Amino acid sequence: MKNISKLLLTIMIAILLTTGCGKKEKEENVKNTAYTFVYEDKEFILGDVFTEDKYGKAIDYSEVASCAFEGLDKTYTYEHFVVTTYPSGNTDKIMSIYFNDSEISTTEGIKIGDSINDLTTKYGNEYEEEDNLYTYTLGKTHIKFIHENDIITSIEYTYDA
Amino acid sequence: MKYIKCIIIIGVFILIFFFINHLLMPKYSETLREGSLTREYYKEDKNHEVIFLGDCEVYANFSPMVLYEKAGITSYVRGNSQQLINQSYYILKETLKYEIPKVVVFNVNSMRYGEDEKNEAYNRLLIDNMKWSKEKIDLINSSMTEGETFLSYVFPILRYHSRFSKLTSEDFKYFLKPKQNSFNGFLITKKIKPYTSLPPKKVLANYNFSDYSYEYLNKITELCQKNNIELILIKAPSLYPYWYNEYDNQIRQYALENNLDYYNLFEEKDVIGIDYQLDTYDGGLHLNLSGATKLSEYFAKILKDNYNLTDYRTDKKISSIYNEKLKEYNKLIKE
Repeated sequence: MKNISKLLLTIMIAILLTTGCGKKEKEENVKNTAYTFVYEDKEFILGDVFTEDKYGKAIDYSEVASCAFEGLDKTYTYEHFVVTTYPSGNTDKIMSIYFNDSEISTTEGIKIGDSINDLTTKYGNEYEEEDNLYTYTLGKTHIKFIHENDIITSIEYTYDA
Repeated sequence: MKYIKCIIIIGVFILIFFFINHLLMPKYSETLREGSLTREYYKEDKNHEVIFLGDCEVYANFSPMVLYEKAGITSYVRGNSQQLINQSYYILKETLKYEIPKVVVFNVNSMRYGEDEKNEAYNRLLIDNMKWSKEKIDLINSSMTEGETFLSYVFPILRYHSRFSKLTSEDFKYFLKPKQNSFNGFLITKKIKPYTSLPPKKVLANYNFSDYSYEYLNKITELCQKNNIELILIKAPSLYPYWYNEYDNQIRQYALENNLDYYNLFEEKDVIGIDYQLDTYDGGLHLNLSGATKLSEYFAKILKDNYNLTDYRTDKKISSIYNEKLKEYNKLIKE
């Protein structure tokens, strides 16, 4: 009888313990394995902690709450691009950078209005293509180019949080 | 004797197991109120002529109390946070086991999301308190993300074991009787957070709804047809996420092909009188009480004028239920 009790107790404890491992966030050095974006000598690193002190004062700011959970996706609008952050603990980290116009280029030199030929010349042919979207991936970062009739109409850096 | 002892011990362990299981589950009473919406439906008298179906754009924006007060319409909102279209289908299927409404109003916002938008946290809010049925099993199977297991829905302890060290007074206070949060599925939020600015309207690579979305929209349409229910499609008047013209055109086309009515209520925002400085609690995504009241008054008139619904304000039995609810509702909104 005691054996049955011990067995049941062990099963319950095992369920509690074996499934008790939470996900531990690994701090990675994203800088060497990721696409980054440079604007006015500031290097924007996706997944890095974002503050306006560090990256410069935005001209507009908005926030989007989720349907039920705490935490906000924050959007910082600069003259030519928009940075969106996601909450991570007590900080906000860079989730995406979206180009607003053709006045700026990616670090590799592609801007809105360039052709797909320019793109593959600069970035090569290792991309994923879906509809009219070309995605280049480096580590946890992506650069997404949308084109219309082979002319790039949208550029966005994104990060797998 | 030996067997009796054995049965008693096993019984005690089962009791302890279920006790811990229930204790560790979120109570969705004071925090994460949205998780209470599914369970609250079961307690209701199932006599609704209108069922609202969809995501947060229905449970925050449509007040059945206003619909009753203004037009005598009995309605219930079966909406949940980020309720995806496959989930709406199974929720509708489940609802039809309890009652057959005259009208189902489906908010089409979830058409924009395909299969990729599955999210474990939102799944939990919707499914945790759902009664076991074939629909629940199908809903779990069609909603689970890669890292989830079916067993964790059967034994939530597998999911919530880590809450052991995070239990709060809410877990004990509402252990036996969870708090009632909604009025017929409508969650009141009185806070005001005016619209200031929104993220950029991004260019999309593809504006077409996925085959997956159409598959479930077809299923909803067919289910309604089979049960002689009038299906109405709506788009709630949220400023964000953006409802692109390309999306709107596809819904209009679908409505036309399937002989359905479609109301884009965002286009009616000025007629409704929505002021995004006053009528939203999160800068334009969801309406607050004031906005939901305006929208519900407007929509009550549409329903009353076009869909042959009963005015239950003269029905002794039903009016007594609703008047009781209205008393509580009016008290709460005046607090």
